[in-house]
Amino acid sequence: MADITNITVFTTTTCAYCPMVKEWLSKKGLEYEEAVLDKDPARQQEMIDKSGGMTVPVTLVARDDDSEQIVIGFNPGELANATA
Amino acid sequence: MAKQVIFYGAHWCPDCDRVKHWLGEHDIEYSFKNVDDGEGVVKEMLDKTDGKHLIPTLDIDGAVCQNPSSEELTELFGVSSEPTENYHDIVTVGAGPSALAAAIYTTREDLDTVLIEKGVVGGLAAVTDKVDNYPGFPEGVAGLKLAEDLRAQAERFGAKIELGEVTEIKDEGQYKRVVTSDGEYLSRAVLIATGSDYKKLGVPGEEEFYGKGVHYCATCDGAFYRDRRVVVVGGGNSAAQEGIFLTKFASQVDMLVRAGQMRASDVLVEKVMNHDKINVHFNTATEQIIGEDGKITKVIGHDKKQDKDVEFETDGVFVFIGLKPNTGFLKGADVELDDIGLIKTDGTLQTAVPGVFASGDVRSGATMQIASAVGEGATAALMMREYLEASD
Repeated sequence: MADITNITVFTTTTCAYCPMVKEWLSKKGLEYEEAVLDKDPARQQEMIDKSGGMTVPVTLVARDDDSEQIVIGFNPGELANATA
Repeated sequence: MAKQVIFYGAHWCPDCDRVKHWLGEHDIEYSFKNVDDGEGVVKEMLDKTDGKHLIPTLDIDGAVCQNPSSEELTELFGVSSEPTENYHDIVTVGAGPSALAAAIYTTREDLDTVLIEKGVVGGLAAVTDKVDNYPGFPEGVAGLKLAEDLRAQAERFGAKIELGEVTEIKDEGQYKRVVTSDGEYLSRAVLIATGSDYKKLGVPGEEEFYGKGVHYCATCDGAFYRDRRVVVVGGGNSAAQEGIFLTKFASQVDMLVRAGQMRASDVLVEKVMNHDKINVHFNTATEQIIGEDGKITKVIGHDKKQDKDVEFETDGVFVFIGLKPNTGFLKGADVELDDIGLIKTDGTLQTAVPGVFASGDVRSGATMQIASAVGEGATAALMMREYLEASD
């Protein structure tokens, strides 16, 4: 599979599931960029466009073959598949 | 054929704990004889050790060794020096307030404890905006802050938290095997403290718009509804608390309450009823969620008193209609459940499977309060310690 080029986690400051995703990625040694939507509302639309939803956390895994995989919510199984 | 192991030791003896841990890491069962139980046990041991007073003493198929090192154990049992099992004295399924409270107690008793969490550490408490009835916080406390503090306290004493989903608990006698999405754990006692999750409505449109206008977590997704209208479904404490939280963002909150009154605490009811952004609609059942182009436009309710449908224009729906126990993974297990799927326990919080305990919102008879979940966690911890000592 193509290499991961970037992982973005869309979060809000009050969401309790968001730090769980960050913790999971950190435990697996994966680096990520975080977009905190209530501090950076400009990125809200980007997340809505990518995920088709209005719920956080959303994790976007981009690879060097331009593919993107999206995991909505904190779901260790899906995160493991998306980052494998 | 497994070797017959008789283990002479005492509960206060650190080398006994070390050897028990090694045996657990290699899935080797033993029968424990406590030298504090009387002269009979001591005499039996001394007969085997030529009068040498030293514990732990192991009788392995008649071969006797005293206070063996890991290297000696590896040789005696003919097994690999590396652990074959991910062994801990106690595994908790879930890491909500009840499991965290239990872990604070067990780790302080030097019981090696791991907590396995599939969702959020702190459970439903962590996704609650504000907890106003947890003793010790005169001004209330943010649910997430309470969860983080409980976690920090448990971790300070050595509790380990692993992220994964438990799929099965196998009773293998002295050891329990906890199977997860990421691997297996072996332990001598298990605490099931998986709590409950918010129930779904089961009406048309709910599945379709999940995460796209239908939500079950106001602290997660409320911020997307700045200056927009939302509907809150439910009339209990959660609906009231989260409805009030949503007024921070939303321009208007319509609360649809099926009954003729709210089931929330008086303090919350008063706040809701007097809030200028919240309109409460009693006797109103939620029947359908309607939208177009992937966005919610309205909710259709049924006014039971006037027997007519009512429409609520809205941008989002937040559902808080009660709790459903997280016991799906116990299907086919010997743990006994009640009619609504909560775990039945005896007076020591032990389930129908010896060595498997349950506490908090997942337990039949629980009062669904953070304070009582924490209290039950502490009780379960003490009961597990007693179980471990008695079954040793």
